Amino acid sequence: MQQQILILTIVVMTLVAYPFWRVVRTSQHAPQPPSPAGRIERMRTALLASLAVTGLVVAVATLRPWPHDAHAAPGAQIVRAVGYQWYWELDTEEVTAGRPVVFEVASADVNHGFGVYDPSGTILFQTQVMPGYVNKVKHTFTEPGTYRVLCLEYCGTAHHDMIGEFKVVAAR
Amino acid sequence: MTQYMPVAQKTSANITAIRLTMLLGAVVFLLLMLFGIVMRAAQGQIINLEPTVFYQLMTAHGAGMVGAAALTGSAIMWYFLGRYVQLSALAYNVFLGLFLVGVVLVLGAVFVGGFAGAWTFLYPLPALSGGSWEVGAATTFVLGLVAIGVAYLIFYLETGRAMIAAYGGLGRALAWPLVFTGKMDNVPPPAVIASASVTVFNTVGIVVGAAVLVVTLINLYVPSFAIDPLLAKNFIYFFGHVFINASIYMAVIAVYEILPLYTGRKWKSSRLFAIAWSAILLMATSVYPHHMMQDVAMPGWLLVMGQLVSFGNSLPLLGVTAFSMLAYLHRSGIKWDLASALLVIGVLGWSLGAVPAIIDGTISVNRVMHNTLWVPGHFHTYLLLGEVAMSLGFMAWLTKGDRESAFAPAEKAAITAYVAGTLGFTFMFLISGATSIPRRWAIHFPEWHLQDRIATAFAALLIAAFFTLITFYVVRLLRPARA
Ligand code: HEM
Ligand SMILES: [Cu+2]
Repeated sequence: MQQQILILTIVVMTLVAYPFWRVVRTSQHAPQPPSPAGRIERMRTALLASLAVTGLVVAVATLRPWPHDAHAAPGAQIVRAVGYQWYWELDTEEVTAGRPVVFEVASADVNHGFGVYDPSGTILFQTQVMPGYVNKVKHTFTEPGTYRVLCLEYCGTAHHDMIGEFKVVAAR
Repeated sequence: MTQYMPVAQKTSANITAIRLTMLLGAVVFLLLMLFGIVMRAAQGQIINLEPTVFYQLMTAHGAGMVGAAALTGSAIMWYFLGRYVQLSALAYNVFLGLFLVGVVLVLGAVFVGGFAGAWTFLYPLPALSGGSWEVGAATTFVLGLVAIGVAYLIFYLETGRAMIAAYGGLGRALAWPLVFTGKMDNVPPPAVIASASVTVFNTVGIVVGAAVLVVTLINLYVPSFAIDPLLAKNFIYFFGHVFINASIYMAVIAVYEILPLYTGRKWKSSRLFAIAWSAILLMATSVYPHHMMQDVAMPGWLLVMGQLVSFGNSLPLLGVTAFSMLAYLHRSGIKWDLASALLVIGVLGWSLGAVPAIIDGTISVNRVMHNTLWVPGHFHTYLLLGEVAMSLGFMAWLTKGDRESAFAPAEKAAITAYVAGTLGFTFMFLISGATSIPRRWAIHFPEWHLQDRIATAFAALLIAAFFTLITFYVVRLLRPARA
């Protein structure tokens, strides 16, 4: 997913830069009276309208289903995790692939970030971890392997040492 | 409708103070850029740095850069607002003095006291350092931010007062009659409308920031006085978002005021322009939940609002400021020079940086990008290529001789190097974010070092270019002044 996001970003940035380049290239040409206001305003309206429509379409497409749904369906595996300065404690070392896992994460001290990395080192999902709250996040693993938990919220001078681990095993 | 002619070069702002503020800002930028490259080099294991020192540098770099961006932005706003309303030089000097007191306290807290709680001082980290720093260091840091906050309250009380005196109310300075009825006499110029918007929303931001600072301070001494960490986080990101964005919204006033002198086309306070700045006022204060999209305990509607408003932010930026600028530039016969080029780059860089920011403001993207290097990737784009470029453009214009100055090859080369260095540096952050590398990690895994090293090389290029650009400024400063 991250790769597509990067490509999309570069494409949109290029689209944004293009009109700047076009206008600057001809900006030194002999001064002309500004284009008729009507034409410019029609272009602007089109730009504003297309931005607004894009925003709404993207919102509907990306918010349903709700990305933070963590409802534990029957049969879900529950993993409780607690963040400490500066380590993770998980109550389970192994979960099974193919069945939803609900992580219930809490903090014993300050804010932490529970970022789950797949065996190739790519983030799959994350949630913030806060003192006084139990935050839930749901994921169904497909690939067996060793997964790591990296802290994704700055929590003090050994923040980068907060690395945990668990295994995903194939369903029997 | 447009009865405001810029009073030639006259302004009630104290020019010497403004010139010195810009110089101070530039020197701080440069120093903290050096901290930045040290951090990036340490991540790539080019140099060895104790993690504690890394996080101290990170705290100083974050707080100091936000401060320097705010400072240069406010000097720009003060300078141009002073053309239309009567500002008190005393208020500016008190602002600057208090600001410097704050900077000294922040630096002392970090480098003497060892405070490394990051500029966002996320509650309850200042009080629970895990043994890295003492309460005294955290107190000094918080007091430093309080001093800067008070400095800004004085600044905005004065700009607010002056606009009310000149226009009969902040609503009129925001051109609300024009917004709501389409008619208004004595329409304020763009600089005033923008200043009014920033004055209102940043005052709200600072008051919220002050509230959470006070709570943090009490908690340092009375740990039983605890508040809800989620509430504290809401306050902190509200303040942090508003404050850093205000710096760009202030700096862009330089574009509204200076480019017309090159294109010969006055920047108009159209109804759309006024609507845009009222929308900015509303959106700047309602978009902050996009910093909290992975706080699943947040009410869902707030996160949805964060995503919608974050996208909505692009409308006044792209559809009004950037679009109008291009319309004004189009076949204007402009003669480019250092100042005008940097100002246009500023709007381009701001627009470019908004793209990865908005994309990350989508909850499902945020789930894999939040707190990775993607985030410094987008904000360094709109700060370095946006706020800093606009400030450099303002500085170049401020010291431009009265004779029409040409665009020297050395100036073109410096700009090219600055843009290339910055784009390379920020794209490496974006690539690293897409590779899942966390932000704020002092120690990087070996497989990440190559990216860190390439980024460090680009950073060196951009710092060299920045140094050259501020050298131009200093050389020009020493020439006879412009009124
Ligand atoms: C040559 C120029 C610069 C370099 C090399 C640089 C480098 C860095 C690095 C390495 C980080 C830490 C990244 C991480 O999370 O691992 C960082 C963070 C940051 N930088 Fe810069 N930076 C530069 C310019 C700027 C400028 C001009 C600004 C603002 C105007 C700025 C504002 C920030 C802020 C606010 C942070 C976040 C600190 C935090 O996470 O607490 N930087 N920068
Ligand atoms: Cu952490």
